[in-house]
Amino acid sequence: MKSMAGGGFKVGDRVIIKRENPQGNPRTPMYIRGKQGVIVATHGVITNPLDHRGLYPPLYTITFDVKDLFSGTSGDKLWVDVHEDWLEGG
Amino acid sequence: MVKPANKLPHMHDYEAHVRAVEEDLEYYRTKRLEPRIMNLIRRGVVTFYGLLEAQSSVKRKLRSKGKRIKDIVARIRVLEDSLDDYVREIGVVSSALADRIDVVTEDSRKERGDYDEFFRIAKKERHGSLEERIERLEEDLRDYRRLLDVFTLALTLSGVITEEELKKEREILQRPSVWNGARIVARAWADPEFKARLLERGREVIRELGIPPGRVGKLAVVENTDSVHNVIVCTLCSCYPYDLLGDTPWWYKHDIYKKRIVENPRAILDEIFRLKIPANMEIRVHDSTSDVRYMVLPRRPDDTAGMKERELAKLVTVDSLIGASEPLHPSELKKAQESGEAIFTARSRDYY
Repeated sequence: MKSMAGGGFKVGDRVIIKRENPQGNPRTPMYIRGKQGVIVATHGVITNPLDHRGLYPPLYTITFDVKDLFSGTSGDKLWVDVHEDWLEGG
Repeated sequence: MVKPANKLPHMHDYEAHVRAVEEDLEYYRTKRLEPRIMNLIRRGVVTFYGLLEAQSSVKRKLRSKGKRIKDIVARIRVLEDSLDDYVREIGVVSSALADRIDVVTEDSRKERGDYDEFFRIAKKERHGSLEERIERLEEDLRDYRRLLDVFTLALTLSGVITEEELKKEREILQRPSVWNGARIVARAWADPEFKARLLERGREVIRELGIPPGRVGKLAVVENTDSVHNVIVCTLCSCYPYDLLGDTPWWYKHDIYKKRIVENPRAILDEIFRLKIPANMEIRVHDSTSDVRYMVLPRRPDDTAGMKERELAKLVTVDSLIGASEPLHPSELKKAQESGEAIFTARSRDYY
């Protein structure tokens, strides 16, 4: 299962997660939908025949502030893996 | 560095052990076995009538009938062993099926209701006194195991899989174990160059220890430092590097953990796991939402200079590989070994 290069975003980019993406991987958590985050890692397209039929678009790890997603004053972070088709430039 | 703290609060008492069996048992029944049967019934690979036919030929000796065990600890151990058996046999039949039937994890997720609550199989409510709960678990395990046996037999009777294939799966299914994780951590503590390689490309590097990574799409090892504490969750189901580290602790699959660890990680680590993260330290919660599977590299405990890798590995707990606790301090392991206090380290499920 090797990663391939590819993807239009880079580490440091601000992105917004789409609210809806019916054709995409359904495993994008509700709590980040419509929210802004920053890309901290790029994984490219990961071939994973055990889990998926075919390939999903390139994968990114995106970091969010807990306090932006849930109320409170937390300085802690969430790191979430999201596929490119869910992302819009922030 | 790391100060010894009161760890694994949920593993000290019998009730916690019983709760763990309850959680795991329902999880495996409603997520791993029954949705698979439903899936095969929908496709006509298995039929209700095939199950009925198989049922009439299953003769399974029921354990401990007539001979009642009185001792609570012994009964809990039997429950834990039977659960292990159940989980292992689900794995055996699933692996055998995987060679014969075109099925991917995504289909299973759909079938078991990960994407749509409508499809979820209801879990049993568990209540009553400890004894009552143990008794109900004993009955349920017998019933659940019987369905598993009937299902397996129906598959062999109809020729979907063969006895030989099952036997082969049993042999090659060397249970992956959290001890793998402990060995990886110990090597990383002992060898900075190994650690650097591990953090960069985890999956390939663990082969250096003779550990097969299994079917892990991509393994990410995240390092705890003096300024960052990592913790892992899968809010959508229960993704985890199973092939590498064996099964998760029961709480990892619990909805309360999944919900609250993202909403307020600092408070939850403190309240549930009694793990206080200093205010100047950032917590990073990794939500396994896709192909990457995560493992935490915990900080090396104090007073471990000069310890051999094998001894270091014994300090690693299942929880510390997920970020819910620190590894044990050597004095804690020693104390537990001497007092017989029930703690779980990566080494085994045994009591020390």
